[in-house]
Amino acid sequence: MERDLALLIPEIIILLTVVFALVAEMLRLPRIALAIIIAGLLLATVQTLPLLDVNTTVFGGTFRIDTLSVWAKLILLPATVLSLLLARAELAGTDREGTVYVLVCLVSLASVLLAGVGDTMVLVLGILLSSLGSFALVAYPRDDFATEAAMKFFVFASVTTSVMIFGLSYWFGGTGSTLLSELSRLDSSPVVAVIGLFAVIIGLGYKASLVPFHFWAPDAYEGAPVSIAAYLSVVPKIGAILAFAQIVRDLPITMAWPLIIAVIAVLSMTYGYLAALVQNNIVRLLAYSSIAQAGYFLLGIVAVGTSPLALPSLIIFSAAYAAMNLGAFAVVMVVGRTLETFKGIGRNKPALGVAMVVFLLSLVGIPPLAGFVGKFLLFGAAIEAGFTWLVVVAILNSVLSLAVYLRIVVPMYQKQHDDSSVAMSTPLISLVWVIALLLTIAIGLGAQLLFGQLNEYLTGESLHCATSLSYLS
Amino acid sequence: MYPLVSITVFLPLLGALLVLSMRKAPTQVVHGIGITTSGLTLLGALQMWSRGVSETGFAQVEQIDWMPSIGAAYRVGVDGISLPLVLLSALLFFVTFIYSAKVRKQPHAFVALMLLLETASIGAFTALDGILFYVFFEVSLVSMYFMIAEWGHEDRQRAALMFFIYTFLGSLPLLLAILGLYLGSETYTFDMRAWISDPPLDGTAAMLALVAMLITFAVKTPVFPFHTWLPAAHVQAPAAGSVILAGVMLKFGTYGIIRFAYQMTPDAFRDAGLVILAFGVVAALYGAFAALAQSDLKRLVAYTSINHMGYIIVGVAIAALATEPAIRATALDGSVLQMVSHGLVTGALFMLVGMLQDRANTREMDQFGGLLKVVPILGWSFVLAAFASLGLPGLAHFPAEFQIFLATLQVEPIAIIVILGIVVTAGLYLRAIAQVFLGEVGEKWTTKTMPDLSVRELLALGPLLLLTIALGVAPAWVLDVIHKTTANWQF
Repeated sequence: MERDLALLIPEIIILLTVVFALVAEMLRLPRIALAIIIAGLLLATVQTLPLLDVNTTVFGGTFRIDTLSVWAKLILLPATVLSLLLARAELAGTDREGTVYVLVCLVSLASVLLAGVGDTMVLVLGILLSSLGSFALVAYPRDDFATEAAMKFFVFASVTTSVMIFGLSYWFGGTGSTLLSELSRLDSSPVVAVIGLFAVIIGLGYKASLVPFHFWAPDAYEGAPVSIAAYLSVVPKIGAILAFAQIVRDLPITMAWPLIIAVIAVLSMTYGYLAALVQNNIVRLLAYSSIAQAGYFLLGIVAVGTSPLALPSLIIFSAAYAAMNLGAFAVVMVVGRTLETFKGIGRNKPALGVAMVVFLLSLVGIPPLAGFVGKFLLFGAAIEAGFTWLVVVAILNSVLSLAVYLRIVVPMYQKQHDDSSVAMSTPLISLVWVIALLLTIAIGLGAQLLFGQLNEYLTGESLHCATSLSYLS
Repeated sequence: MYPLVSITVFLPLLGALLVLSMRKAPTQVVHGIGITTSGLTLLGALQMWSRGVSETGFAQVEQIDWMPSIGAAYRVGVDGISLPLVLLSALLFFVTFIYSAKVRKQPHAFVALMLLLETASIGAFTALDGILFYVFFEVSLVSMYFMIAEWGHEDRQRAALMFFIYTFLGSLPLLLAILGLYLGSETYTFDMRAWISDPPLDGTAAMLALVAMLITFAVKTPVFPFHTWLPAAHVQAPAAGSVILAGVMLKFGTYGIIRFAYQMTPDAFRDAGLVILAFGVVAALYGAFAALAQSDLKRLVAYTSINHMGYIIVGVAIAALATEPAIRATALDGSVLQMVSHGLVTGALFMLVGMLQDRANTREMDQFGGLLKVVPILGWSFVLAAFASLGLPGLAHFPAEFQIFLATLQVEPIAIIVILGIVVTAGLYLRAIAQVFLGEVGEKWTTKTMPDLSVRELLALGPLLLLTIALGVAPAWVLDVIHKTTANWQF
């Protein structure tokens, strides 16, 4: 028990942070709440560092402390801090701004839980916690748009989550346990395994906004404050993707789950970029782009268990995605929500323009930026897993994505018709995009720093594969 | 020994950062930094030249671990194929900086982008690591996109977009091939030297990788039918961009065909040799005939590029098909020399067309006439470059094309029909010279509207023309370097 609690120190710190911040908010001290949360999240990040080499589970296998979940904390918690800075810049002075910070922190806790999921009940808990917080965040502006978006989001989430819980009951029936590590027992009853898998795909697919469970995302992002859209497109999404990885690690490879996921990857990438191609609202464009990027994540998921590159590539792409997507949203907060407002911005504000170009090219996957390294490793993992065709599709989609993102870049360097739209920047937003810019470049050039840490894990992972194989025999 | 290759590669990048950090500096200073940096880079390249190449493998190798877990490292070095191209790139950038010292529109961004492009170009030729090569390859695309989109002519946005998307689509198969070579290599490495000395793929996998690489480099070269981006990009690009695009960036294609396609999947390349040869012949003839149909001087030069690059493809294919090492070396020598000659001659031609356009604001040949009397230096320079381009003996293209045709006759005599291209280019250049520079002087063109070359333009053009003659009269000083590698060719 003491050991388990000691291993959960980062999560416990986040939970306590939420409580204290809530008290501060009740006293109407939003700045104090924000300070508490940022300090708490950074403390939790620091407390995660000693766990880097740990590979174990706590509370009877229901929660995993392994490289995946530890790195999820190291990526998601700083990303949450950056999102909070954006939220502060956008929402300062509004009624009940402190609740935003508290909810964001709670959703991050849920995302971190998802990334270490070892039990279907923790999965349900994580998704519900993350969803409930997100509804309120989207509805925060309390205008028609936001309310409608939150309502759609809520209905969609309720249905998908119910279906998921229903499907998960099959896995429980088949294995007699809620533990994911028992899933390999389903080898002899493929129908049960597939029903449960579809349930998980629906539940996590909604959370990660994968096609065809993405319908809520563009509306929710558009209705929500931009900073919240930025947050939702990064932290809960990465949490859900990593939960996916945790689950498929235990699925018997004999059932064709990689193929099912590959099909969803193709749908997400292609639909996401095609839909993004016709958007004029940049937030919606980035929403569809994040749907497509989620499809790229799945290239790593299909390779879990067959390629040693799979988990490192997922982690590196998570870090890259968090940096470049938050950066792009931060620039949108400065410039404005429509393509029209981007006209001439590259000439008027050269530094901001260069930063946006870097974020967008990184999203395309152009070297030597972070997105390239992440995608390159994902491609390598998928090829090694025998999914060369999927990589070819992903590569073709990269070309499509270039067209999508250049739709933003091209007007940036055109002549401005009028200078009525003056971009407003605050030091906080500038801080965020500068940090994101540095990270986008640094992750691209210094991926080895992450990789060196992950290397330890590669050997651990092969052991993991070996044990699951021995289960089969 | 200091890391000369790395210094040469990254010096322009340092210059670019310097320019960007001095946002208030006046235009002259900015161009001065550009010229100085590229001049120093040229000195670096010259010193690399004096250090030379080795008989086997790569010389002047510099290596730092980058991502050791996946076998990627920063590795650079040169051999007889890449060293002449490094020197060519450094020279072309230097003279282009002199030529474009007139640019007044956003000089900071222009110089910084050009310097970034220089790092990417020299980096691509010296990279000995699969990922590193790809990085430089793509960075060059991005910088060229902005170059065309910002400083190009009337329809630049569309041309830049087409160029970027087309060549980006073209470059992605290479990424697949690199991944395939990596996963096929025994030790999981991105070291290109290992891929060359022990080709990782065989059978169908090698053929698929070869096809992927050929698509990438065929788009870049460009080979018919993947060439459609080239005329659009060239016509809209600023003159400086055209010089670099034709002189340096097209070489990525042919260099890649030798370095990647030929050396890393040699058996598959040999099997596909006849097909590649056919593509080369068609490209050379198509380029010549398409150039014949142009009335726009810049489009004409652009299409003759397709023709000249076609000869290089022919040369490489012949080298692969040849059974005798001596013939193979001849074909490769010719091909690499052709890359250098094409860089010098086409660089000069695009510069001259740019100078004409600066003066006349048009490139339509029928708008000119009798210019030899108005601008004798410009005129005779164009005549010299045009004669070089059509392969006149004593000028740069002749020794290169001669060696290619010689090897072709010995290996696949039928492919010699490609020599028809020379006749066509001779015809079209003579027509162009007659229309633009001979005959009656148009009323519009007086020494006032059409001054002769300025000192700056002479300084930019002079080195290229002198080297065109030097390479034609005495090609040995370059051939010796190339031959050192091709004489011991293992494939």
